[in-house]
Amino acid sequence: MYSNLTLDDRIAEQLAIDVSLNSAIQVRFGNSNAFNVTASTLVPLMRDHEMGGVYICASVGAAERIEEFKSIGLSDEYISRIQFIDLVSSGILGGTDVEYSNIHFVDSPIMLESVLLRTLYILRMTTSVRNFVFLDSVNALAIYNDERMLAEYLHTFINTFRQREVLSVILNVPDQTPPLVLANLDLYCTDLIDRGQVLIN
Amino acid sequence: MQSTSVYTRDRCVTGIHGLDEILRGGIPHGSTVLAAGTCGSGKTTLAMEFLVRGALAKLPESCAHFTATEPSIKLLENIRQYAFFDMKMIDSGKINVFDMDVLYSWLGLDKASFDLDDVHALIKAIINIVHEIGATRLVIDSVTTLCYKIKSEQLIRDFLFTLGKKLASLGCTTILISEITSATENAHWSSFGVEEAIADGIIVMGDVERMGHLLRFLQVVKMRGTAHSRAKHAIELTPLGVMLTPMLKWGAQHDKTNKVGG
Repeated sequence: MYSNLTLDDRIAEQLAIDVSLNSAIQVRFGNSNAFNVTASTLVPLMRDHEMGGVYICASVGAAERIEEFKSIGLSDEYISRIQFIDLVSSGILGGTDVEYSNIHFVDSPIMLESVLLRTLYILRMTTSVRNFVFLDSVNALAIYNDERMLAEYLHTFINTFRQREVLSVILNVPDQTPPLVLANLDLYCTDLIDRGQVLIN
Repeated sequence: MQSTSVYTRDRCVTGIHGLDEILRGGIPHGSTVLAAGTCGSGKTTLAMEFLVRGALAKLPESCAHFTATEPSIKLLENIRQYAFFDMKMIDSGKINVFDMDVLYSWLGLDKASFDLDDVHALIKAIINIVHEIGATRLVIDSVTTLCYKIKSEQLIRDFLFTLGKKLASLGCTTILISEITSATENAHWSSFGVEEAIADGIIVMGDVERMGHLLRFLQVVKMRGTAHSRAKHAIELTPLGVMLTPMLKWGAQHDKTNKVGG
């Protein structure tokens, strides 16, 4: 258990079997279990697979995401192995005034090519040998971007990192994602972690 | 089966991330390339990185930069923010930066407009400097500012043609920076209309507006002596230098305008 959050160990087990650096994993979840599933995917990649990398924040600001990770006990050493790209905070007055040096800001979630280039730049700078790129999340990008453009982007994104042997982890709430994008994700991703069926009584 | 061999020209490998792939290996050696772009599109950074990569090559090249748009001190202060640049390259003479204003004074060309003799004196001075330092990479920033002093279109044509020819004979690959106010498909790639016809290559840089945000792009529209991509590429100016990726096709469909005011 990670402090006040019980991680989903089945995700760690699935990652132990499925994960390779040129994989692209689609991680599906619902509104209520989003953070739990995200943490349950990230922690074993860092702990068991000794990975570092890039975390792209399109759903919440990077500082908020870091605080959430810290609140469940993710150490500073783990946090420092991740470079965050924040697509949210530049749109908020004062949002970029943060204390963390491992946050990079992109003006807007519609600057998709800039996000890709910034990620490639960070990966050129990193000392970590085994790297992931978390995209959090497709449904957040779908708020701002046309579905055809987003589908095209994900195709480019996944192939770019697969070619460079960087693990892509694509987070997604399926019922908030356009059908075309969803269909393309199913096609491009090599693996699926599906926690999207959440029953709420 | 009949064998075929394809002749390929020697290349000046720019060393710029992605650009050499677009150019199938680099700029054909000795070419004069117009880097035409709107303000803030990254022309000066691209050109300076072109020189730096040459200076840092396995077989280091001697490089020259003529600046007409801003004083060299200001240029170097601005370029120092990039990790790819090191002032030692200037101190050691690998990259030589010349102020055009100083050159004009030295040649007695402190005047509003140049005649034929002035133009020939200027060409001779530039060629002498390139020859003296053995420069194989040259940047003139900007040819637009320089050509403002040359009043006749014919004289501008002669100037650029003669300069390009002499630089090519010295084995010098040249980037001429051209300032334009619009990078739309129908725009001219140069202020005077003749630069683009004479140049061996044209690299256009500008901004695509997408829902109120400006995304920098680069597009090679012409390059004699090599096959090349003509697609629009998104660029980022990172501390490591210019980085490129193909622009999203559906993103380009959403472009309202490429125009950016000066």
